[in-house]
Amino acid sequence: MLSPTLLLQNLIFGVLLGSIYALAAIGLSLIFGVVNLTNFAHGDFIMLAMYISYFLGVSLKLDPILTPIIGFPVFFLLGIAVYLAIFHKIIRAPPLSQIAVTVGLLVLLRNFALAVWHAEPKSIPRTLLGYSYRLGSILIPADRLTGMLISIATFLILHLFLTKTKTGIAMRALADNLDSAALMGVNVRNLNMLTCALGIGIVALAGGILLTFQPVNPMTGLIYGLLTWSIVAMAGLGGVSGILLSGIIFGLADAFTAAFWDPRAREITIYILFILLLWFRPKGLFGRR
Amino acid sequence: MSLRVEELNVAYGKVQVLWDVSFKVEGGSLVSIIGPNGAGKTTLIKTISGLLRPLSGKILFEDQDITGRPPHTIKKLGISTVPEGRGLFPNLTVKENLIMGSYTIKDQQRIEKTFKFIHQLFPILSEREQQLAGSLSGGEAQMLSIARALMSEPKMLLFDEPSLGLAPMIVEKIFEVIKTLKQRGITILLVEQHVQHALELADYAYILENGRIVLEGRGEELLENPHLKKHYLGL
Ligand SMILES: Nc1ncnc2c1ncn2[C@@H]1O[C@H](COP(=O)(O)OP(=O)(O)OP(=O)(O)O)[C@@H](O)[C@H]1O
Ligand SMILES: [Mg+2]
Repeated sequence: MLSPTLLLQNLIFGVLLGSIYALAAIGLSLIFGVVNLTNFAHGDFIMLAMYISYFLGVSLKLDPILTPIIGFPVFFLLGIAVYLAIFHKIIRAPPLSQIAVTVGLLVLLRNFALAVWHAEPKSIPRTLLGYSYRLGSILIPADRLTGMLISIATFLILHLFLTKTKTGIAMRALADNLDSAALMGVNVRNLNMLTCALGIGIVALAGGILLTFQPVNPMTGLIYGLLTWSIVAMAGLGGVSGILLSGIIFGLADAFTAAFWDPRAREITIYILFILLLWFRPKGLFGRR
Repeated sequence: MSLRVEELNVAYGKVQVLWDVSFKVEGGSLVSIIGPNGAGKTTLIKTISGLLRPLSGKILFEDQDITGRPPHTIKKLGISTVPEGRGLFPNLTVKENLIMGSYTIKDQQRIEKTFKFIHQLFPILSEREQQLAGSLSGGEAQMLSIARALMSEPKMLLFDEPSLGLAPMIVEKIFEVIKTLKQRGITILLVEQHVQHALELADYAYILENGRIVLEGRGEELLENPHLKKHYLGL
């Protein structure tokens, strides 16, 4: 059963999957680190992004992989709206209040999805990427390969933005010391707003990619909330590369669980990893703080 | 280029910390505010820089009312702060901390010019440029905090206990730098517990105790004051 081919196949699966999971988590990490907000509704934004991708796919006959072209600007604006309407008011609140408020938002999003799209899982009618490349006996699904490339490109751009531009450096400064950033002349409210817009905007990218190979239902936010929080916890607060690495670790755990145990046990594996992590490395594997 | 503070009252929640504090700093002069732990010095600096809103009172900079304005707008008017405990961005490099200091300046050439000036003033910082600010020694960190405040070419500098926790030799160096900055015409408000130095440098000084100004005078006058000699200089 443990043939080298199978191992290699799942290794590749895991890395592909993990880089997409990292893309789903990076927005959460930005908002948590920079805005200092504990957002429990992140998984449900992913769920919403998958539905929007589904909606665009069905109504405009758009391939899901292309839906972020519309989804990104829409979610960017949604990020601004959510910041102004909700997040801005709880930024200085203790984490417990932030959790309470964002859990409220999560329930709202879930019921909204239930009302509009009902409980049955939805998947895309078609994707141009429904084929696989074959390397010997190894399969590389085109949808996930494209997803990984989009993810890596996004991480690269984000890294350059955060280290080379004044606004990006200011975001990292804000993550380090809010008062000092304000003293340097940073308009904290505007920068928080931009961070939320970017963080939620990127969710639209991840949602479109995820929908090419996974169906969505109103409860999808549960698993992605747990997954993305686990990735952020493992990465700790640091550079974007930590998120990419820890996303890949979860992708590998996911792929190997599905292959060697049971595809339905994914959640258990994520949960166990999360608990082990909190137990042994509460500051994350790659974080500086 | 003067700062005037009138009848300032500041509280944290229900606990009032500053009571009817009034003083002024003439353009180009250096004013020291001396006070023991918990007197309200940091509270005063935070209120001027916009991080705290006063209950009542007025803060005027160049005859503009800046009371209660957000910190980024106060920075844009030309007031820079060297906060208590340096207030650096530990996960940013030395260079990036300095870039943050120039956040309000759009003209790249002016930024380059200020960089050159900073490197003359603190050669050690150019050696450390790519290092994380969190890895600096106490003295280097204080130099970086001052350098960062200078990056915006401020008209006025607020110093909150710049000598705190530093070795005597470094303290000398920091006060040398403050003197140089004064000679360059920057208006300075210096909050200190290091009485001797702060009074020697000061054109005028105030003593803050329990949130109230209890004494004021020219620097050299206060050095001879019996209350000060007894309670602050241990003579
Ligand atoms: N965030 C806060 N919330 C409540 N009380 C505070 C807060 N910050 C300071 N205080 C209180 O306000 C008073 C003045 O504090 P402040 O920090 O302004 O004094 P300070 O003169 O700067 O002292 P130090 O020399 O120790 O820096 C103190 O009694 C302090 O306990
Ligand atoms: Mg203080």
